[in-house]
Amino acid sequence: MSASTTGARRPGLLPHQRARLLPTVVLLIGAFYCLVPLAWIVVAATKSNTELFSTFTFTPGTGLLDNLRELFTYQDGAFGRWALNSLLYAGLGSLLCTLISAVAGYAFSRYEFPGRTALFYLILAGVLLPGMLLAIPQYIIMTKIGMVGSYWSVLLPGLISPFAIYLARVYADAAVPVSTIESARMDGASEYRIFGTIALPMMLPGMVTIFMLQFVGAWNNFLLPYVMLSDESRFPINVGLYTLLSKGSGEPSLYSLAIVGTAVSVLPLIALLLFLQRFWRLDMISGGLKG
Amino acid sequence: MSETTSGPASGPATDLAAGAAPAAVSAPAPDSGSGNGARGAPPPRAGGGRRGLGGFLAPYVFLTPALALFVAFLAIPVGYALYLSVQGLRIVDEGVFGTRSEVFVGFANYADILTDSTFWAGFGRMALYGVIGVPLTLGAALLFALLLDYGGARARRFSRAAIFLPYAVPGVIASLLWGFMYLPSTSPFSHVTEELGLGGIPFLDGGWIFPSLANIAVWGGIGFNMIIIYTALRGIPPELADAARIDGCSEWRLALRIKVPLVAPALVLTGLFSLIGTLQVYGEPTMLRPMTVEIDQTWVPLMYIYRDGFIRDDLPMAAAGSVVLAIGTLVLSLALLRVTQRRTFGGAQ
Amino acid sequence: MRVRIPRRLAALAAVTALLSSCGLAGGDDDVVTLDFWCWGDLQTARVDAFNAAHPDIQVRRTDAGGGNDSATKLLTASRAGNAPDVTCVEYQTIPALVVSDVLADIADHVGGLADEFTDETWQLTSFEGQVYGVPDDVGPMVLLYNRARFEELGLAVPATWEEFAEVAAEARERDPDTYVATFSPTEFGNFAGLAQQGGATWWEVDDRRWTVGIDDEASQRVAGYWQDLIDRDLVNAEPLLTPEWNNRVNRGEVLTWPAGLWSPSVIYGIAEGQAGDWAIAPLPHWEGESDAVAFQGGSALSVTNDAENVEAAVEFVSWMETAAESTDVQISGGQYPASLSGQEAAVLSDPPTLTAGQDDYWDVATAAARNTVPHIQWGPNVTTANDAYADAFSAAIRDRTPLTDALARTQREVVAEMERVGFPVTG
Repeated sequence: MSASTTGARRPGLLPHQRARLLPTVVLLIGAFYCLVPLAWIVVAATKSNTELFSTFTFTPGTGLLDNLRELFTYQDGAFGRWALNSLLYAGLGSLLCTLISAVAGYAFSRYEFPGRTALFYLILAGVLLPGMLLAIPQYIIMTKIGMVGSYWSVLLPGLISPFAIYLARVYADAAVPVSTIESARMDGASEYRIFGTIALPMMLPGMVTIFMLQFVGAWNNFLLPYVMLSDESRFPINVGLYTLLSKGSGEPSLYSLAIVGTAVSVLPLIALLLFLQRFWRLDMISGGLKG
Repeated sequence: MSETTSGPASGPATDLAAGAAPAAVSAPAPDSGSGNGARGAPPPRAGGGRRGLGGFLAPYVFLTPALALFVAFLAIPVGYALYLSVQGLRIVDEGVFGTRSEVFVGFANYADILTDSTFWAGFGRMALYGVIGVPLTLGAALLFALLLDYGGARARRFSRAAIFLPYAVPGVIASLLWGFMYLPSTSPFSHVTEELGLGGIPFLDGGWIFPSLANIAVWGGIGFNMIIIYTALRGIPPELADAARIDGCSEWRLALRIKVPLVAPALVLTGLFSLIGTLQVYGEPTMLRPMTVEIDQTWVPLMYIYRDGFIRDDLPMAAAGSVVLAIGTLVLSLALLRVTQRRTFGGAQ
Repeated sequence: MRVRIPRRLAALAAVTALLSSCGLAGGDDDVVTLDFWCWGDLQTARVDAFNAAHPDIQVRRTDAGGGNDSATKLLTASRAGNAPDVTCVEYQTIPALVVSDVLADIADHVGGLADEFTDETWQLTSFEGQVYGVPDDVGPMVLLYNRARFEELGLAVPATWEEFAEVAAEARERDPDTYVATFSPTEFGNFAGLAQQGGATWWEVDDRRWTVGIDDEASQRVAGYWQDLIDRDLVNAEPLLTPEWNNRVNRGEVLTWPAGLWSPSVIYGIAEGQAGDWAIAPLPHWEGESDAVAFQGGSALSVTNDAENVEAAVEFVSWMETAAESTDVQISGGQYPASLSGQEAAVLSDPPTLTAGQDDYWDVATAAARNTVPHIQWGPNVTTANDAYADAFSAAIRDRTPLTDALARTQREVVAEMERVGFPVTG
């Protein structure tokens, strides 16, 4: 990143140093490519609606504070409510989903029981279904049990994730030695106690990864809340932002509001990802494939 | 690739991640007992006889929450969708304009959709989009992963974080971002080329629309795939690479001949992610649609399905379309696994 | 962490309970609660005013998204027996909602409400004596033009479409970056309005038998007219209200927008800096033909079949359309009220900010509203027509094929879908 690595090739470079230049440059090009649109949103967030379309893309505007004020006062603080809703859907939903998946994954990994293979593949087949195939029937079911439009209508369907169960099984395979379980059994511990006090702590690092994957997925999930909810005060952030862009005829899209809202909602997520990056155990995702 | 399409149940992360599950099909069967050889975990064939009644019931108890949710929010909805797909909304003589009501129509919806050239045209466009996007995503992800793994490159931590960042940006938002990057009046790229006297770049016109759309998916997908491949690369024992170097193998050959074959399973996995992401592409073209005349309402299959279900209010038709798409996804995923498994897994062992 | 999450949930549940109890306003059995779906920021003030004036009827408003999103949700909710009591609907979606059995016929409850509207306006929501809603705001078409730029370029405001074409040519000559107007291949409602002005009848229903005329002679003529302007590069053919288009407007390169009377507030939303620069004129008409105009856009308030208390719902709807407290909010927010009393009140108010400098703004507006095309009938699958139109016209613009062919293609798709669903149809 420093000038010495990106600078043009100087005559005095040794062969092995020169070999390092190309890889570094390629990596930095990749980083640049990935960062440009993010830089754009930050710059665009500073622009007023008029500046957005009339000044050069990367020229900072003068409207940041106005935009922020407008964003947080829009419809009596709707944006703040959306943010809290997203936290609820993504945070609580992912936490519960992770627990449910961990328990199920452990059962698939460490027990043999009739129907295990069939059940496992049955659940896995769930990932092949297009979200749209599920959204309408889920909506109708939610209506039948009187929950449509409630927080539960978005939370509950998100709790089952075939992928998370698969990951939990792979992780339990790797992290919970059978011998430990066996010796706990010898000591007379019940199956539930073994899981709660021995297996669960061992699976914790993997569960962090599952939680993060679920969190990002739930945070980004659009279709389900869009279909389930009609009350704006229960929208998550992305559905809320979408409504800013798709106002009806007679109301122009609120571009600058949507853009500053996007910046405000993406930045914390990026910070979270960077912070939690070290805890990720993504190797286990492909780990299941190693034969 | 387009998170708008990933139902809550079908994907924990992006659609890319959602695609991981079929990978398990190629994983050792749960009761094959081979477990996870790499980490030396013993087989799960453990103490069945010693568990007693409590032990016998335990797995079922553990599975109860997941299974209950699975039945309520996956199995029943799928059944209902199948039922819907053989229904049809037809006019009965009531009211001033007639009234639509639901009647059984057998396979009429399937017949309609399978003979509709617009639906198949959508598959064609989706294929073109995928042919551009998937190899670029995987190629770039592999390249960056190899460079991160190669000790020589500098700024690795920074680059890894930067390339991973787009993963945090929701697909809808990413499409909007890139949309602004493409529009002639706000595009920084066109600004530069215009300054150079070359004129603007018609990102949203004619054939450009395919690479432009694929680029959005590439941007959003490289990071996640790179991390998966990278973590797989880290799992290669260092002695292997050292031995190769001592034998005079160049870094380039080392990467190509040793590392890439060893991470083939991860590549298959990311390939699957991308395949499923492509089949469910929806968000990017939908967001760009208002900005260009190139993209019509039925540009890719999922847009066609969305139009039927949510704009034409023809849920049975949308259900039939979804079933067709789901079956297509299943067939293609299994085919990919079968082909690659024979090659990579057979060869690597 | 483990403790905090459930606590947050509990707090949330408490808040939710609080919110729902608010809506019940004291829980008195005599108080009727109505659920009302409508988009737009104006509705909050109108509903608040209604609630203040009606202790016995309390309305809870939900913004279920703009016209299209709202109609989609309404269909889904209705199928689940869950529709709101009252909802905003766009005029062209009413037949589809009637066919799907969403909207209630309130003919027996409206009394003399029809007298509050012009016949043409009332016909937007009533069919063969059945009343499926009450008009809320209307968009009689006018020519919104950038007066400052017209003066700068020395252009005269065209009164006929023939003159419009001449002005288009002059504008191109005097400023090569400027176009007199944009022909948007995705503005179905706009083209429909222009065609209706020219005498087109896109749908007709007689004893449940439909006739589709999207491809009729009058529509062909209008398509041919715009084709000619496009071929001569006198209008710009691209979608409207994209960032790109907004940018052009801001640069003064879009001189006019023939559209509904709500258009000034839209342009103001994207080009605040041009406040006072614009004005409206009567929509050009065809030489030697009637100068009546069609409506573009606008919406009605409808009672749904899920409403339990239709009386109360109709009382709410009537109040919304006739009470000064309600229509004044509409006017100040840039909507043109559908009711005569609202339109009369509008005359006394200031013109919209975008056209602030125009003294005769309301005269032009009122003249347009009082001289509209009678009996505009929309079909049961307008959304299909809308898509088909947008796809066919976009393709025509892109591939430089005739717009008249695109019109024929739209007609074919609309008829085919109606046949598939089982409507008796000729077309």
